[in-house]
Amino acid sequence: MSVREATRLTAPAQVAPAAADRPRQKRRDGQWWVPWLFLAPALVLFVYFKFIPMAQAIGMSVQEVRPYLGNTWVGGANYAEVLGSDGFRSAAWNTIVLAVGQTFGSMLLGFCLALLVEGQTRKLTFIRSAAFLPVVVPLAVVAELWRIMYHPTGDGLINQVIGLVGLGPSGFINDPHTSLASIAVTGIWRGAPYDMMIFLAGLAGIDRGLYEAATVDGASTRQRILHVTLPGLRPVFAILFVLAAVRGFRTFTEVFLLTNGGPNGSTEVVMTLIYKLGLEQSRLGVGSAGAVLLFGATLVLTVCVQLLRRRRAA
Amino acid sequence: MAAGVGLALVVTACGGGGAGKAEQDPSAPLELWARTTPGGDGEKGMKKLAAAFEAATGQKVEVTAIFDDFETKLSQRAAQKDLPDIVMNDSSQLGTMVSQGIVREVDLSAIKGSDQLLEPALAAARATDGKTYGVPYSAQASALLIRKDWLKKVNLTAPANWDQMVALAKAFTTQDPDGNGKADTYGLAVPGSTKRGYASWYFSNFLWAAGGDFIAKQSDGKYKPAMSTPESVAATKWFRDLACTSKVVQPGAATMDTPPTNETFEAGKTGMYVVGPYLMPRFDSSLGKDKYEVVPMPKGPKDSTVLAEGGSVYLMAGSKNEAAQNAFAGYAISADGQKIGMEGEKAFIVQLPVNKSVDITTVRPDPRWKLYADVYREHGRYAPSIPNWTPVRQSTADTVNALIADCGLDVDAELKKLDQKLTDTLSQQGVNAS
Repeated sequence: MSVREATRLTAPAQVAPAAADRPRQKRRDGQWWVPWLFLAPALVLFVYFKFIPMAQAIGMSVQEVRPYLGNTWVGGANYAEVLGSDGFRSAAWNTIVLAVGQTFGSMLLGFCLALLVEGQTRKLTFIRSAAFLPVVVPLAVVAELWRIMYHPTGDGLINQVIGLVGLGPSGFINDPHTSLASIAVTGIWRGAPYDMMIFLAGLAGIDRGLYEAATVDGASTRQRILHVTLPGLRPVFAILFVLAAVRGFRTFTEVFLLTNGGPNGSTEVVMTLIYKLGLEQSRLGVGSAGAVLLFGATLVLTVCVQLLRRRRAA
Repeated sequence: MAAGVGLALVVTACGGGGAGKAEQDPSAPLELWARTTPGGDGEKGMKKLAAAFEAATGQKVEVTAIFDDFETKLSQRAAQKDLPDIVMNDSSQLGTMVSQGIVREVDLSAIKGSDQLLEPALAAARATDGKTYGVPYSAQASALLIRKDWLKKVNLTAPANWDQMVALAKAFTTQDPDGNGKADTYGLAVPGSTKRGYASWYFSNFLWAAGGDFIAKQSDGKYKPAMSTPESVAATKWFRDLACTSKVVQPGAATMDTPPTNETFEAGKTGMYVVGPYLMPRFDSSLGKDKYEVVPMPKGPKDSTVLAEGGSVYLMAGSKNEAAQNAFAGYAISADGQKIGMEGEKAFIVQLPVNKSVDITTVRPDPRWKLYADVYREHGRYAPSIPNWTPVRQSTADTVNALIADCGLDVDAELKKLDQKLTDTLSQQGVNAS
């Protein structure tokens, strides 16, 4: 869903200037409503399953929701409660730390992987598929796998490995000091191959001639990456950043399955908090207020990135 | 964004006023929702009970089993103003359901045989306003499961008090009771995750036996937080020492809910486990009936109080057939209904009977069930019926979880903080005694 949403958000920005620049065309023969007719099926689905529920979430966020007795208007009380609670503030901070860590970690690892497996050889196709595996494995399985690997005693899988270099044993997800980092590592492990694929697509778009020219001019590998590859990947970075940030803000499954926000709230993120307030404690109004705030934050971030991109493009 | 959509989908119809009493139709079939896994043993048990009721009265009952997001799905039906007639769910859901206005008050005089109900179970069906909103049909309490072969190996007997329990837990941890030459066994299995408040749920068995409490009822019927009373602090310190000082709790307890914790007991990693009777069929087949024994919880500093829980029949608001609702509840608690509910090796829905006249040994000769029934009647204690128990359980679980995960935290300070949080929660629900 995140991919579709992000493209939907980015699409108007790319199309709008083009439409404005184009000289006014003579209207083709046909009725004005014909294009709308073609759009209708998608629009109806979007309106019914996305926009109406979203509007209702906003409506619910200013009410005390009691489905059977009828809702009562409480104004900003739900927002005040969410914003005033320590839990929300630390969850917001954890979400940002996790989003930033996962975004940059995945991008860095994904970029390195992409450089390593770029090329046409048949063997590389196999390796690429293997590297992509974490993305297609269901998140519930990933979480269970990492729970086993993170076993907190000396005979745990990762503890054995770090024991070889004289470290540990670490508590990983069971220790409030390392739990958030442990979840970030799981997220990076899963997110990096996805980023790798998008980088690979971007790398394929870079003119080979530029590399050859650089080599002829005596550029080293490092210089080629720095001055040819990275500038060529700029649009890829922008889209990946938006995608990963949106994904990072909405992190839920891995946290819910690995720690459920514990120990001592050290991994509580906004989504798990909303789940607890709204669904476990049946306080849908307060939960909706949290969800609207999260939506607002995501929207602001996306718009900022778009503005930055447009200014750079201009 | 997904959360916003998800939350909003819960309420698909526009809110109106509360619904009054619906027009009655004595031939309308009853729609029954049970919180149990679809296709599982619980569903079979429910269907068995419904079929027996149908055979006895001719009244049709349609059973639907739902487990995941049960409350959310119920809210959707509430929004459509079309609730199922009967909901079979945990007794602890009472407060939430009453404050949402989706259950109707139960007139006990209209429920046949309600005078035969055990008083503690009935008390758990009473809300803060003193009225009854559910009919308990099943009860359960906690007891201690111990590895029998391990006991023999370390040459000790089942503990009678907390000191002996700690000594046994230490022996299980240090004396290699499984004889594999590795220090990979632990004394006590603890589901210490915050998920659904497991840490608090498990800890209540120890807290109450020490004379402590989560919240204490005052003379005016309201509550005060009680997690920083000397008894509660002592109980918390004792429990935490199991994990931090004597280290007899399985590693990773802080992130384990019940399924992985059950596995540690089955896999021979832990030697003691405090659980309800519903896990016995599972452990009998996975571990073996001869491998473990069931004993009452050892006596704490105050007494042997353990957590009691149960299931209730909720008569939902707006039903078209209130007479049949009453009849079904009456049948579920009748001697016949209770026996049908208890029958079967796995597909039983009544753990312990709530009807005074029903003797569990007539249906289940296994003495372990009798032990559970006795523990329930003598030492069982339900969570108090405040409007919404979930936030209290959640915040106490957060603190207990933090204390066993981070041995550097100051217990007194954390419990004071918890009391402050509980005060806020109680005030929000209008039951804070100030």
